[in-house]
Amino acid sequence: MRRDARELLPPPVRIGATVGFVLVITLPIAFMLLLSVTPDAEVSSGRLIPSHWAFANYAKMWSTVNLGRGLANSLVISGVSSTIAVIFAVGAAYVLSRFNFRGRFPYLYSLIALQSVPHVMLLLPLFVLFSSIQTAIPFPLIGTYQGPVITYLTFALPLATWLMFSYLSSIPVELEEAALVDGATRFQALRKVVVPLALPGMVVALVFSFIVGWNDVLFASVLTSPETRTLAVELQTFSAAQAGGSLPLYGQMMGAAVVSALPVVILYMLFQRYLIGGLPAGGVKG
Amino acid sequence: MSAQPAPEASTARRKRRSGRADGDRPMWLLWPRVVVVLLIVAVPFLIAVYTSFLSVDQYTLRQWVGAPWVGFDNYVAALAGSNVLSISALGSLGISVAFSVLTTLIITPVGILAALTVNTDFRGRALLRSLYLVPYVIPTFVTALLWRMMFLPQTGLINRFLAAIGLADVNTYWLVGAKSFWAMTITETWAVWAFIYIMVLAGLQSIPVEQYEVAELDGATSWEKLTRVVLPQLRGLIALAVLLSTLFHFNNFTLPFVMFGTPPPTPVTVLPLNIYLTSFNLFDFSLGSAMSVITLLIMLVPGFFYLRMLRLGEVTSR
Repeated sequence: MRRDARELLPPPVRIGATVGFVLVITLPIAFMLLLSVTPDAEVSSGRLIPSHWAFANYAKMWSTVNLGRGLANSLVISGVSSTIAVIFAVGAAYVLSRFNFRGRFPYLYSLIALQSVPHVMLLLPLFVLFSSIQTAIPFPLIGTYQGPVITYLTFALPLATWLMFSYLSSIPVELEEAALVDGATRFQALRKVVVPLALPGMVVALVFSFIVGWNDVLFASVLTSPETRTLAVELQTFSAAQAGGSLPLYGQMMGAAVVSALPVVILYMLFQRYLIGGLPAGGVKG
Repeated sequence: MSAQPAPEASTARRKRRSGRADGDRPMWLLWPRVVVVLLIVAVPFLIAVYTSFLSVDQYTLRQWVGAPWVGFDNYVAALAGSNVLSISALGSLGISVAFSVLTTLIITPVGILAALTVNTDFRGRALLRSLYLVPYVIPTFVTALLWRMMFLPQTGLINRFLAAIGLADVNTYWLVGAKSFWAMTITETWAVWAFIYIMVLAGLQSIPVEQYEVAELDGATSWEKLTRVVLPQLRGLIALAVLLSTLFHFNNFTLPFVMFGTPPPTPVTVLPLNIYLTSFNLFDFSLGSAMSVITLLIMLVPGFFYLRMLRLGEVTSR
């Protein structure tokens, strides 16, 4: 076999580095999986290989942690916020990609610039603002789904808009022009011609927006009530309670952690091709 | 950044033909984002700046607008005094800077090396590329819990390993005291090195194989190809990646918050965590706001360079 001209590492270095990376990645994950099937009592005893596989952890944890409710809340909050974010993003990206107007560059710039506002700075003022709004008009925001939804959709919009802007810019204008000549309005052309063509891009934007809400702990810890707590906060609270407890339920905690990570890891794996395109535009990881 | 010129600019032809269509430009589609940004970012931002000059605590929070004006007192307190957390904003700033710079310094060579291991064609490359992404895509709150277990005395894999090779006692405490900073940094490094890897891999893929072949014909060694052909072309990209990585890690809240619980050990009290605790555990909302404003001012420096590097205007108005 001919040597690949792109080979920049001597084979021993490449093989050594690859093995190193694989071990460093897989060992902690294997440890998490192992602990998740270790009986809670044996985790603290310092035994590495459990006496038996405690698959029961995966059954028990649903009643120990309020995992089901957290999962449902996370699904609703992230699902609704990402759906709205994508709808807003497609509209804005369409205008940005098709027309030249004053304020176009500031708008594009603001997509990126506003992301550098530290989120922790907005947390308390947002809480204050939400409580003022819900006293003034009967629209509850704190402890409901609405509050986190509107917050996450705002934070998801820059990346979603940027992804859609790139995507729509690559769709030829001629297709909508035909519709316009046939008498359609711009908005009809957008809905009937552009959106169907942009669906693949929208799915990617939806995935990235979904993850914004799923991974957040900061806002969820203040804006949700025990009934609307997301999975992330549910787990964080549970973990905090273990530190002081007499018998920490570490096995079940790891089981719950695996279940929390799985949906996101699967989504990313399915869409990893697009991860590369989306990264520079917005911090995927908060 | 693949921003393209608005087609309208190049097709003046269409303007003439469909003057009517220009009339119904759906510009209102831009407004939803403006509204939510005003509500969620702009107004809270102004409230934060305003409260940083007041004295707002849990008693005055309900009528915070009428809280007493104290000028720059909060800023002085943030920079000078140490509060109950026994760490000032300045102390936390030092931790944040050390944490984000150190993490970036470690992950940059690691990420480049990782990208180089999967740049050539071989069986199993796709699988390896996916595997490299896994730590990066695990939600931060899960990473925090996972590494909390890794660092536990006696039980954790880190201590078992270090004890096995005789480097540390199996009962070493990583989650409290001075070592906690290293526990946090090691965890972050494990979680985020793929960020540099993805950026560099994307850059590597844009270099045509012919360039390597020409260099080879000229008798270049692998090392010369790397330092003379590849890295010079990726310089801008790597600089951007380093800048972004420093920015992101500076704002990390979730990892120390979930990994160490409340109250956290002092060495992991990064600025965002300090602001959170000052506001929601000590209820000194004004001090928290002043600390956020200081954070923002510091972020403006790398933020400015970031916007300049993107050169959005140049690309879009070509």
